[in-house]
Amino acid sequence: MLEQIFDQYKDALFDTDRDQALNIIHSALEQHIPAEEVIFQVVVPGLEDIANRMSDPFDISLSQHFLTSQITSDVIDLLLPAFAQPPGLAGRLVIGSAQGDFHSLGKRIVIGCLKSYMIESVDLGLNVAPERFVDEAVRCGAQVIGISSMMVHTARGENGCLRVRQLLKERGLEDRIKIVVGGAPYRFDPRLYQVVQADAWAENGMTAGKVISELIKEG
Amino acid sequence: MITALQRLIEASRGIPPDRIPVFCNMLDQGARELGLSIREYYTKGEYVAEGQLRMREKYGYDNLWSLFYVGKEAELLGCRHIIYSAGGPPNVGDMVIKELKDIEKLEIPADLAGQPAMAEPAKCLQILNREAGGKFPICAYITSAMTMPVILMGMEKWLDLLLNGPFSLRDELIAKCELFCQREIAAYRALGANVIVYSNPFASTDILPYRMIEELTCPSMANDLNSGGMGGVVFYCGGARLEKTIDLAITRQGFQTLYLGPRDDVAACKRNAAGRALTVG
Repeated sequence: MLEQIFDQYKDALFDTDRDQALNIIHSALEQHIPAEEVIFQVVVPGLEDIANRMSDPFDISLSQHFLTSQITSDVIDLLLPAFAQPPGLAGRLVIGSAQGDFHSLGKRIVIGCLKSYMIESVDLGLNVAPERFVDEAVRCGAQVIGISSMMVHTARGENGCLRVRQLLKERGLEDRIKIVVGGAPYRFDPRLYQVVQADAWAENGMTAGKVISELIKEG
Repeated sequence: MITALQRLIEASRGIPPDRIPVFCNMLDQGARELGLSIREYYTKGEYVAEGQLRMREKYGYDNLWSLFYVGKEAELLGCRHIIYSAGGPPNVGDMVIKELKDIEKLEIPADLAGQPAMAEPAKCLQILNREAGGKFPICAYITSAMTMPVILMGMEKWLDLLLNGPFSLRDELIAKCELFCQREIAAYRALGANVIVYSNPFASTDILPYRMIEELTCPSMANDLNSGGMGGVVFYCGGARLEKTIDLAITRQGFQTLYLGPRDDVAACKRNAAGRALTVG
């Protein structure tokens, strides 16, 4: 039965049909399928299906990616109260766009997707100073700092990831807090994350969940 | 000797010119050429024109740009704050549409050329025409109606409105942006721009599913462009890939020149164009 639900759910994601996706989840709960099973056998594999299709050129567009993240976030909000026991938090990250960068879309997609990995996101907003990334990560007990950049100069600039790395070094926090970056410049140059001294990069919101989960486990 | 403008015209007609026309997108680099900060560079049309002329002379390519920065279009519609960076292009720092109700209040000036935000680009175009008109193609950059909301309200809010509605407001905003696009093209043509680089990433399957491009983007592009004619219009997908929508671009909108994205497969795009349009990039 879960397989059938999964097939219907991933079709709804592909068609970016939010109402249909929510209906499918409601219907699963009405059939007394545990919320935990719905998340880990329907919702997370649904995200992974979209991620796999993204690796095939042209199969998934940005708008489908965006709506999948929104739908996933809505579905998780719907399912969490139905858990038999409150799910444990896998970890926490602070996320924001680099200083000088006012693009919010990628960050929002990532936050939506991370919910399904039980990772809590603290959204620092746009144009975030490097000091604030570090201060907030310490204050929140975050294991990961996520820095989003849409433009090359905010990715490579001295007030972006490079400065966050320097601050982590100066404060002796490198073992406790990892840096993940994402955004258009990193897709054009997959080695750029190394140049800006990040620990990892994520190509899209779907892969961000896996990458950040691994960083948290490593810590 | 053949001029750069003749070279472009011959290429666009499918006649092999003496060499392939070389277009360079040199913009902010003009500031360094003049020893100015990017902020100072964009305060005067004279600086931008001088930067363009010097860079073209120095590197020997075939075009001149009248574009300052993309946020200039938002300034024409009321944006009051542009953020300057030492190392990159200026960015919109004040969204004209902060809430959905601002869409109703958005007004498109009838006389775009007379707007204060157009004064310096107009001066720039005047100088470029005086110094290089008739010899070099002078490019203007026009953002499509489907894309314009990105710089008016931000990509996230625009995608939300575009995909989730309310659709009456979405359609109202697109209609207003179409009017802006028509008037902007007319203004730039009147000021002497002879190549219109029309940017529409929402015509790429990287951004929207094909069905939405057919149903929403194509009619909007017709509204943007049909009243001003397609002469000198170059179709640019804003860095996204054109490969899957080349046929639509040619058959539905009649684009004759297609500016491919950096991630496009050139051979596949040329196959899809099948000799019906010039591919550039």
